[in-house]
Amino acid sequence: MSDDIVLSLSKATKLYAGVPAIDGVDFDLRRGEIHALVGENGAGKSTLTKVMAGVVTLTSGTMRVDGVPISPQSPLEARHLGIAMVFQENSLVPTMTVAQNLFLGQERFYNRLRGIYIAAQQFLQSLNFDVTPTATVGALGAAKKQMVEIARAVLHKAKVIIFDEPTASLTPEEKKYFFDLVRDLQKRGVSIVFISHALEEALALADRITVLRDGKKVVTDDASKFDRARIVQAMVGRDLSHTLYGVRKTTVRKAGSRVLVVQNLKMAPMVKNNSLSVFAGQITGVFGLVGAGRTETFKIVSGVLKRDFFYGGEIFLHDKPVRFRVPAPAVTAGVAYVTEDRKVEGFFETASIARNIYLGLLAKFPGGRTLLSRKEANAVGSDWVKALNVRAIGDEAKVVELSGGNQQKVVIAKSLVQDPELIIFDEPTRGVDVGAIVEIHELINRLADEGKAVVVISSYLPEIMALSDRILVSRQGKVVEEFSALEATEEKIMYAAIH
Amino acid sequence: MIGAIQEFANRLLGRGDAAIAVPTFDGALKSNQKLEEAETILECAAPEDLATDGRSIYLADGPRLLRLDRDQATEVRRFDRPISALAFLADGGLAAALTGKEVQVFSEPSAPKPHAVFSTGLNAVNALAPALDGTLVATDGSAAYGVEDWARDLLESRRTGRLLSLDPATGATTTLASGLGFAFGARATGDEVLVSESWKHRLIAVARDGSTRITLPHLPVYPSRLSPATGGGHWLTAFVARSLLVEFVLREPAYRKRMMAEIDPQYWIAPRLRSGLSFKEPLQGAHIKTMGVVKPWAPPRSYGLVIRLDASGAPLYSLHSRVDGTNHGVVAAVERDGDLIMIAKGPGRILKLPIAPLDREFGA
Repeated sequence: MSDDIVLSLSKATKLYAGVPAIDGVDFDLRRGEIHALVGENGAGKSTLTKVMAGVVTLTSGTMRVDGVPISPQSPLEARHLGIAMVFQENSLVPTMTVAQNLFLGQERFYNRLRGIYIAAQQFLQSLNFDVTPTATVGALGAAKKQMVEIARAVLHKAKVIIFDEPTASLTPEEKKYFFDLVRDLQKRGVSIVFISHALEEALALADRITVLRDGKKVVTDDASKFDRARIVQAMVGRDLSHTLYGVRKTTVRKAGSRVLVVQNLKMAPMVKNNSLSVFAGQITGVFGLVGAGRTETFKIVSGVLKRDFFYGGEIFLHDKPVRFRVPAPAVTAGVAYVTEDRKVEGFFETASIARNIYLGLLAKFPGGRTLLSRKEANAVGSDWVKALNVRAIGDEAKVVELSGGNQQKVVIAKSLVQDPELIIFDEPTRGVDVGAIVEIHELINRLADEGKAVVVISSYLPEIMALSDRILVSRQGKVVEEFSALEATEEKIMYAAIH
Repeated sequence: MIGAIQEFANRLLGRGDAAIAVPTFDGALKSNQKLEEAETILECAAPEDLATDGRSIYLADGPRLLRLDRDQATEVRRFDRPISALAFLADGGLAAALTGKEVQVFSEPSAPKPHAVFSTGLNAVNALAPALDGTLVATDGSAAYGVEDWARDLLESRRTGRLLSLDPATGATTTLASGLGFAFGARATGDEVLVSESWKHRLIAVARDGSTRITLPHLPVYPSRLSPATGGGHWLTAFVARSLLVEFVLREPAYRKRMMAEIDPQYWIAPRLRSGLSFKEPLQGAHIKTMGVVKPWAPPRSYGLVIRLDASGAPLYSLHSRVDGTNHGVVAAVERDGDLIMIAKGPGRILKLPIAPLDREFGA
């Protein structure tokens, strides 16, 4: 084994209930290299990185760190070996401050809080991270949480840092900043493994790229020898590049009746006098940078959040004023919100697919139901698993066992089973593989063709442009500009989103 | 009593009429820059209203009455006072309102003397339109202020507008509706008269018996004059767009009173027919301009808008001049030979846009 290799896996296999998540994978990571792992959801990327980080152990095969065979049994053991992982769904404690999270696990017998804050402040400043150490993590946005995760990994002097979908929740500016940070880590000799569904990022950032498919390694090669088409082909075994974002819209659907009107909605400090309308039979794309108040606006519409009590603005559904204080009446009124954070808000991960979808159906009954039917649950679950092509061992499979794309389909099914008139998709393809993206996009288009009012909130401009009939651009808590999909360009949208 | 409690609660909680809310420009009112693409066929000092006899367009420019033939302007006659409204009757006669206080009716545009004059009880006649029975309908915007002092009428939240019927044959003046929030524009359609109520941001239909119904509520603009559109329906102009700042100031009587007493009217927080001329204007800075570029979606102090309505009064499409444009303060629009002729009062321009491409583009 070469001295140049800091971490390697040979014939790595991990079985879940007898089903291989990774199957005989050979992988090596060079010192100071940036190595991208790409593949569809369910390809085994997360499992492979979890093995490296000690979150799961191999069923068979060998892992070597600096040439020494080793099998970390816990993340703590991996961390002692110099391997840290920044998870896709962050692993911070939301009720603790940034500083406490940074030093979590390194507490001494006597901890002086002021000292921790000063040390955290100095450390965050050295990384040029604009995060307040005294802020509670739960109150931070996704991007800042990501920064804290990265800072924690750097603080632990990791020689290998693994990022799982690091840029999914970052704005374009923050992504650029993140790339600079990763390159800076590389200069310090840290080896980086990162999983990304944004293939352009892999091509731009990585030195080498490994493509996985169905738990097996397809290819590892220098990034310079890849292009987008080659990666996609390797990932899915078919050419999908033109069915995703490549084709520009030439027609848009005509607006139907006005389904939703939001007027001067306020929820300090995120939503500021936001006004917009949504029409039936159209896909309304909502673009904005992190903190633009898009998610919060539509969470208020669907009763997940409450608007300000005084001068909070008005919401009209089919021209009738509504104010949903909890989600149940919104569901009854035909409003469905498909969350951006599926792991936390989207499903019960230890319940089966069928049970989760059935829960969506039960939400339609305002008073709940006294008698529940397992048979009905299974029938409903089975129908939707087929309709949305959810790939699982069976309908009784737990949602936690599914890949990101299939989990997202379950979350969508849970809302569609309610037969809503207005469907709000918040980041519908975040953390979803390219194959599932195509299926989810087809589903969203189908819903609009059926006459439903569809809202798609996305931070990914090509997705907004590929899906939307009209594009609303949100900035600092309110919609500032509207474009027809025919006139919109990335430059115009970004200009409105930033200025 | 219950109404008073409701109003108090609304003011406290910012709901209902007390909500500081401005609808968005979307759907048929989605913003574009069509008015900026319009051809300027004439520039004049004080254009106010347009009317057509079916052959030519007549333009009121201050005290002058001009005829537009193939975009050439010819002075037809000159009055001793500025014209505030203009209309042709079904028999070819011309009606002109002068400073809003008098309406003169002529048998033809160049007739030496009027055959009917209405002057009693008129204060701010800002629009005239022919009715089917040979009479005229007129909107008298305010009982308190003249036609040019509309901003003061808005800031004092007055509701003294009237819809009048003027009968040139008998000289009778009949009030069809009163208590309107600045009536500005009317069009007789069958048994009803469609009226723009600017301060209430809506169109209403007034029946012969005086009953009213709202046909187009919650406009994001202050609507003004109406004219017929080919194929049925109407053209509605809007002389300025609403903004949150003005809506907020309209909820603050003490502030408004002091502002009107102490500040030059030019710089009041109130809508204007043109803007961007002085650094003293209330809306400034990054709200309007970023990195040297005026943001089209910035809060408008002045705006240009023409809305194509169908026969039922529902919007089909709209033509805009946004904050970064100049053709603001559109007060009149009339069709001629497949073109739409409009007055942008802010810059003093007469604009022309061919209608067929617009109908095609917007699928009307």
